[in-house]
Amino acid sequence: MVVVDGVWKRFGNVDVVQDLSFDVRPGEVLGFLGPNGAGKTTTMRMILDIIRPDRGSIAVFGGAPGVEHQARVGYLPEERGLYRDVPVLDTLTYFGALRGLPTAEARRRATRWLEDVGLGPSMKQKAAELSRGMHQKAQVVATVLHDPDLLIVDEPFQGLDPVNAEMLKGVITAQRDRGAAVVMSTHDMADAQTLCDRILLIDKGRRLLYGRVPDIQRAFSDGAVEVRGGGIPMDPQRYRSVSEVSVANGSVRFLLHSDASAQAFFQELAELGAAVERFEVSTPTLNEIFIRTVAGDRRAEAVR
Amino acid sequence: MTGPSTEPEERRARRGRASLRGSIGLLAVVAKRDYLRTVRRRGFVFGTLLLPLGIGFFMTLSGFVSGGGLGIGGPDGPGGPVDFVLLVANESPLDLQPAAPLTPHVQLVSREEGLRRLGAGSAEELYVLPSTYPDDPTLLRIDARAAAQPLGGLQRQGAQQHELALLIQTTLLRDAAVAPDVVQRVVAPFTAIDAQTLSGAPVAADPSIASFLLPFAFTMLFVLSIFITTGYLLQSVTEEKENRVVEIVLSSVPALPLMGGKILGLGAAGLTQVVVWVLTAAIAAPLLGDRMGELSSISISPVTLILAVAYFALGYLAYGAMFSAVGALAPGSREAQQYAGIFGFAAVVPLIFSGLFLADIESPIVTVLALIPLTTPATMLMVLTLAPEPPWLLIVASLTSLALFTLVATVASARVFRATLLLYGVRPSIGRIVGAIFARG
Repeated sequence: MVVVDGVWKRFGNVDVVQDLSFDVRPGEVLGFLGPNGAGKTTTMRMILDIIRPDRGSIAVFGGAPGVEHQARVGYLPEERGLYRDVPVLDTLTYFGALRGLPTAEARRRATRWLEDVGLGPSMKQKAAELSRGMHQKAQVVATVLHDPDLLIVDEPFQGLDPVNAEMLKGVITAQRDRGAAVVMSTHDMADAQTLCDRILLIDKGRRLLYGRVPDIQRAFSDGAVEVRGGGIPMDPQRYRSVSEVSVANGSVRFLLHSDASAQAFFQELAELGAAVERFEVSTPTLNEIFIRTVAGDRRAEAVR
Repeated sequence: MTGPSTEPEERRARRGRASLRGSIGLLAVVAKRDYLRTVRRRGFVFGTLLLPLGIGFFMTLSGFVSGGGLGIGGPDGPGGPVDFVLLVANESPLDLQPAAPLTPHVQLVSREEGLRRLGAGSAEELYVLPSTYPDDPTLLRIDARAAAQPLGGLQRQGAQQHELALLIQTTLLRDAAVAPDVVQRVVAPFTAIDAQTLSGAPVAADPSIASFLLPFAFTMLFVLSIFITTGYLLQSVTEEKENRVVEIVLSSVPALPLMGGKILGLGAAGLTQVVVWVLTAAIAAPLLGDRMGELSSISISPVTLILAVAYFALGYLAYGAMFSAVGALAPGSREAQQYAGIFGFAAVVPLIFSGLFLADIESPIVTVLALIPLTTPATMLMVLTLAPEPPWLLIVASLTSLALFTLVATVASARVFRATLLLYGVRPSIGRIVGAIFARG
């Protein structure tokens, strides 16, 4: 649905995006991760044809980004708002018309959506008269009003209250489930881990990590297993699979040999008579991976 | 490169056509929305109606105060066309005989009847020719009001006395057995003057007040439209920046159709305002009748009108594009107004030289102003209406330079608009602006 191939973008003397390549497929959420200034928003704007790349190519729906595709794209920018002195329904109708809907249809859909998100009684009020939470709901409606095939959301949860954040998560997964491709940039790794099928981590415009979330977690796993229970031997010499034993947060943490499997280690524990209450293969969270990668973790190279 | 280089030619052409259709459609959506939004604003409705209502109010007030006269000279006497009653009580030996063409307001009455009518309020003054007239050339005027006359009353009395003098003159001449045609010549010695040069050729007609006012009216209309419409443009662009909706809009509409839609929509709103004013003037002129004097006789040749519209449209497009870019690169609405003032000043420069236009329309300064694109529209609007013959060479040269400038300004402004619209609260550097103008694609 979107193919970004070797794209470069320079502002002044800074290469904001450097040789970036990735694709976005229908029915998936691609998490676009990276620290501030990594080039996420610039890349999104290039996909949307708001700005043009200096080098490389971008294909959206099989062709260059352009006005003929914009009716199929929904965008929730990081810097977002509504016309303050215009009724919300009128603003959403206008946004719908800009996305190719006939005015009457845009108005009908906006009315239905606003009622669905609980803004029915307020739809004829000016945006300036609405609460921040109501603004946020209306902005989400503006993004999906026209049933886009490609949804691009830039820091969607920033500034949202928990109720609206949950609503937005529901909207994003619903769009993905109906076959839309979703590109979501976020700083919240917990959200990324929950919502994203694949992630793309960039820093200083360069790709650091790209792939399915479980694959990346596995790649970053150090082979540790955390066990909680009674009668667990603490001497690593008593195990065939274990090279190191430590205690952390009430659990015993075993670092396994590189050729050992968690299943074989579990059988060893049983043979040694340990009463296992909890057995968990330790995988790093996306947050840990993010910090380690951006800090220069060399293991990222293996995944690239 | 933004798309696969292997894209077949035909597919690319098809995509280009679809893109053009899409851009025009989006331009129309933006234009319609900005037009409707602007004309529905309370400020717009108020501003549009205020001018005609204000003029109407002041004209009515003026007419009321003056007793019905605003004329600038005419056959009805000093002060122009005035509606009044001239009551005359003739106690002298003269045989006064009012004649409609010269003395239409005279009503001969007895002194008693005149006094009764003054008392009833159906007349303001009664003129009495006493029995001692004409030996004693003193008349008596009896006023209904004791207080000093307002301006309108003085104007009325002036007209009454002019008509009364005509009545007495014609009576005296008739009594002296002067022939009626001589009487006519005495009271109206000439009706026209044919002026010639030493060689016998006719002298060009004296410039009328209309010929001075017309170019200024045109130019003022242009300048006014520029300021009104660019005000709406700046407001619209800065509002979208300040309300943080601009990125949503730009993700739906490319910069050029967005800018074009705003220029067209808000230009149409400004034009609506001007049309309302012009129509009001057109409707009001016949109603005001001869109060307008020769202003009501203004006529414009079709060629002048077509050229004026061309200068007006090109000038508006050039200014509109530049003001859109100004709105995009200004960090806020206040800065936008300041930047716009610099360009807006160019539109009024020709008015500063208006004395020169009247003195010598072929002056080199006028030619230079006509060829500088930013001052072309206002200059040429004045030249078209002041020059005795259309200066075709200057017209072609100025239209060409203005058209080229408009094209370049539109493309450059669209690039600046696109590059700077998403800079929130940041003043872009000159280098960035220049870079945006010369950027590829």
